[in-house]
Amino acid sequence: MRRWLPDDSGPGCYPYPVTNDLALMVGLPGQGVHLHLDALSLLFLCILAPQILASAVAGMRASVTFWVFCAGMVLALAAGDAFTLIFGFELMSAASWLLVLRGDQKPATFYIAIAIFSAACLIPAVFLPASSPVSCSIAFILIALGTGAKAGLAPLHSWLPKAHPAPPAGVSAIMSGGMVKIALYVLIRYSFIILTGAAQPWWGVVLIIAGVASVVIGALRAVLETEMKTMLACSTIEHVGLITVGLGIALRAKAMGDPALTAVALQAALLCAVAHGLFKPLLFLGAGEVKHSTGTTSLNWLGGLMRGQPRLGGLMLLGAAGMAAIPFGPGFAPEFLLLHAVIGAAATGGILARIGFTFVLAALGLGAALALGAAVRLIGIGFLGRPRSLHAASAEDARPGPLFGMGLLAVLMLPVALLPGQVLAALVPVVSQLAPQADMHPLAYTPLPLLLLAFLIATATGFVLHRFGVRGTREVAPWNGGFGRAPAWLPFGDPTTQPSATGFAQPISRAIAKAVLGKNGTDPADAWLIAPIQRLHLRGVRLAERIRRATIRQRLGVVFAALVLFLAALGLAEGG
Amino acid sequence: MLTFALRLIATLLHAALVFALAPLLMGAVNKFRAWALGRRGPPFLQPYFNLYKHLRKTTLVPETATELFALWPVTAFLATATAALLVPSFCTGLLTAPASDFITLIGLFALARAAAMLGGLETGFGFGGAAAGREALFSVFAEAALLVVILGFALLAHSITINGIAVAFAAGHIGISVSLGFALAALLAVALTETGRIPTDNPAGHLELAMVHEALSLEYSGRFLLLLEYAGMLRLLLWMNLIGTIFLPFGMARADDILSWPLGLILWPLKLGVMAALLALFEISTAKMRVFRVPEFLGAAMLLGILAGIFLFVASRIGT
Repeated sequence: MRRWLPDDSGPGCYPYPVTNDLALMVGLPGQGVHLHLDALSLLFLCILAPQILASAVAGMRASVTFWVFCAGMVLALAAGDAFTLIFGFELMSAASWLLVLRGDQKPATFYIAIAIFSAACLIPAVFLPASSPVSCSIAFILIALGTGAKAGLAPLHSWLPKAHPAPPAGVSAIMSGGMVKIALYVLIRYSFIILTGAAQPWWGVVLIIAGVASVVIGALRAVLETEMKTMLACSTIEHVGLITVGLGIALRAKAMGDPALTAVALQAALLCAVAHGLFKPLLFLGAGEVKHSTGTTSLNWLGGLMRGQPRLGGLMLLGAAGMAAIPFGPGFAPEFLLLHAVIGAAATGGILARIGFTFVLAALGLGAALALGAAVRLIGIGFLGRPRSLHAASAEDARPGPLFGMGLLAVLMLPVALLPGQVLAALVPVVSQLAPQADMHPLAYTPLPLLLLAFLIATATGFVLHRFGVRGTREVAPWNGGFGRAPAWLPFGDPTTQPSATGFAQPISRAIAKAVLGKNGTDPADAWLIAPIQRLHLRGVRLAERIRRATIRQRLGVVFAALVLFLAALGLAEGG
Repeated sequence: MLTFALRLIATLLHAALVFALAPLLMGAVNKFRAWALGRRGPPFLQPYFNLYKHLRKTTLVPETATELFALWPVTAFLATATAALLVPSFCTGLLTAPASDFITLIGLFALARAAAMLGGLETGFGFGGAAAGREALFSVFAEAALLVVILGFALLAHSITINGIAVAFAAGHIGISVSLGFALAALLAVALTETGRIPTDNPAGHLELAMVHEALSLEYSGRFLLLLEYAGMLRLLLWMNLIGTIFLPFGMARADDILSWPLGLILWPLKLGVMAALLALFEISTAKMRVFRVPEFLGAAMLLGILAGIFLFVASRIGT
C-alpha cells in the first residue's frame, strides 16, 4: 500500500510533514483512511467549494446522491493515501452515474463504461511499485488514460457531450466544472509529485498532443452543437485540453530543466482551472434556468431572452466572456499565459520540437477563435435577436435560487478577471510545490491600466458625442433586411427571416468541420475509436452466439479435433 | 522625471495624432483608389464630413433590439481605440509600451470582433446573422495565422511586446531574411481580412449578401454608426502602424529623445501615405473572393507563417 508519507520508500514519494496527516480508523484493516491537505489539494478544494455552494443554492440541496457525489470529490482531494484517493474517486463516479441515470438512460450506460475503464486504468497504476523508470512510465500512461477518460481528454472525450447535459443543471455544472478538475488533480498529483523522480520529457509530449486534439475538437463541436448544454459540454472538452496543454508543457520543461517555462505553463494550467471552475458552472446553471423557463435548451427555438430575462442574460454574458477568453474576462489571463508558454517552448530546443510547437500555436489560435464564435453564438442567437418560439417570447426571469448561485460565481470571477496577477501570487505555493525550482515572473497582462485607458477614451468620446451630437434615441421599426412588417399573427416577426444557430455555424461547418469531423458532424473519436470497438463487440457477440447454438455434432467435432491436435502436438514433442 | 514627462508628451501626441488622422487615412485610400481608376474621387476630408453627418443625425433603435443595443458599438469602438493606443506610431517607448503585448492586442481585436458580431445578431435580421457567421469563419484562420506570424517576430526580437519588436527591428541588426518575407505576406493577408478590404471583403460594396463588416452595422444609425465607422478607420490606421512598426522601422523616434521626434513625425505620415497608395493599387488590381475562398487564402497565410517559423529554426540551427 503506497502512502504519500515519508516512511514510504519509493523514488517518487513526496515527503509530507507527518503532523498534517489525519488518520481515521476506518477503511482497510490495519491501514485506515489518511486525510491530508497540502497547497495543491487546497487549491482544488477552493475551486470546488463555490460550485458546490452555487449548485446547492440553485436547487440540488435536497438530493442525497448529489451530496454523496460532492463528498466523493472532497474525499478524493483530501486523500492522504492511494486507497482513499481511489475510494473517493470511485464514489464520485458511481454517484454521478446515478445522477446521469436519473436524467437520461442512454448516455448513462456509456458513462459507466468509461468510468469502469478509468478505474481499470487507475487502480493498477496507483498500486504499481514505483521502483524502476519503466514501471513509472507504465504507471504514468495508465494514469493519463484513466484520468483522461474521466476528464474528457481526446480521444476518450466523446462520452462527455452526451453525459454531462443529461442530469439536472446543478449536477451538470459540478460535473463540468468540478469532476473533470478532480481527474486533472489526480493527473497533476501523480505526474508532478508522486512520479516526479522518473518524469521523462515525452510524458509532457503525450499530454500536449492529447490536449491540442481536445482543444480543436471541443471548440469546433461547441460552434456546431445547437443544444445549449451539449455545446457547453463541448466547450469543457476544449478547456480541459487547454489545461492539459499547459500541464504537458510544464511537465516537459520540468523534465528538461527549464524553470521559467515550467512556471509559466503551470500558472497557465492552474489559472485556467480556476477560471473554468467559475464560468462553466455559471453557464450550466443558466442553461438550466433557460430550460426551466422555456422548456428547451435548443438555440434554434430560443432568441430574445435578454428582454424577458435581463438578469439571467447579463450573468450569461459574463460567463460567455469567460468562455470566449476575451480581455477583461476571466478566461483571458490563462490563455495569455498559455500562448506565452507555447511561444517560449518554441524558442528553444530541438528543431522538430520547435516546429511541433509552431503547429500547437496555430491549433490554439484556431481553438481560441472557435471558442469566441461559440460564445458569440450562445449569446447572439439565444439571448439577442427576436424570439423563435412562443415559449422563448414569454420567458420570465430566472428563479432567485439559481440567480443567487450564478451571482456568487460571477462575483468570484471578478478578481480572476481584473486582478489575475494577484490570483497568480496566491497560486505561488502550489506552483512551487509542483515544481520547486520554478522561476516565476509577474504577469505581463494587466487589465486595470487597459481599463483605465478605455475609460479615458470613453470619457472623451462621451463628451464629444454629448456636446456636439444629437441626443436621445428614437424607437422605429427595424429595417430587417428590407422585409416588410410581419403579419399580426406573428408578433415577433417571421422567425424564418432570422438566422438560426445552425445557420450561424454553417460557414464553419462547411469550411472546417468537414476536414476534422466525420460525416454529419460525428465526433472523430466516435468514428475511429468507439465504432470499431462496437463492431468488435458485435462480432464477438455473434461468435459467442454461434458457439452457443452449435449442434451436438459440431461440439463433439470440436472436442475431438482438439484432442487429436493435442495428441499430435504431444507426439511431435516426444518424437522431436 | 524629464524622461517620464517626455514619454507622457509623446504618448499624448501619439493619441491625438492617431485619433485625428484616422479618417484622413481612410479618405486618402479612397482618393488614391479613385485616382488609380481614373476618377476624381471624393475629397480627402470626406470621412470627416461623413462622421459629422452621423453626429447630427437622430439615433434610431429598432423595436426588436434588446437593452444591450448600445453596448456593442461602444465596446467595439473602445476595444479598437485602446488597441490603437498600444501600437506605436511615430516613436517607440510610449507610456503604453509595457501593456503592448502582442497577445493582449490580439485579445483586443477579438473583443472588438465579438462586439461587432453581437451587434449584427442583435436585432435578428438575416444579413447580420449571415455576416456574423462569416466573420466567425474568417477569424478562425486569421487568428491562427497571426499567432504563428508573431512567433517569428518574437523569436527574432526576443520580445513579444510590440514596443520591444519595434525597438529590436529599428536597431537594424535583424537584416533581411526569407522568413521575414513570408511573415510579411502572411501579416498582409491577415491585415486585409481584419480591416475588411478587398479581396476578402469590399468596403465600398452595396450588395448586402456579399458584405461582412458592413452588414454587421446595417441596423445602426446616428451616434452608434459613427462609433462603428470610426472604429473601422482606427482599425485601418492601427494595422498600418503595426506593419509600419515591424517592417518599416527606419527613422522611428524614441520617446525619451526629443531631438529624434521631428524625423519620426515627418516619416510617419510618409510611410502611411505610401502604404495607403499601395493598398489602393492592390485593391483595384484584385477582385473580391467568394466567401469560401477566404479560408484558403488565410490558410495559405497560416502556412506561410509556419514556414517563416521553420526557416527561422533552420537558420538558428545552421547559425550556431
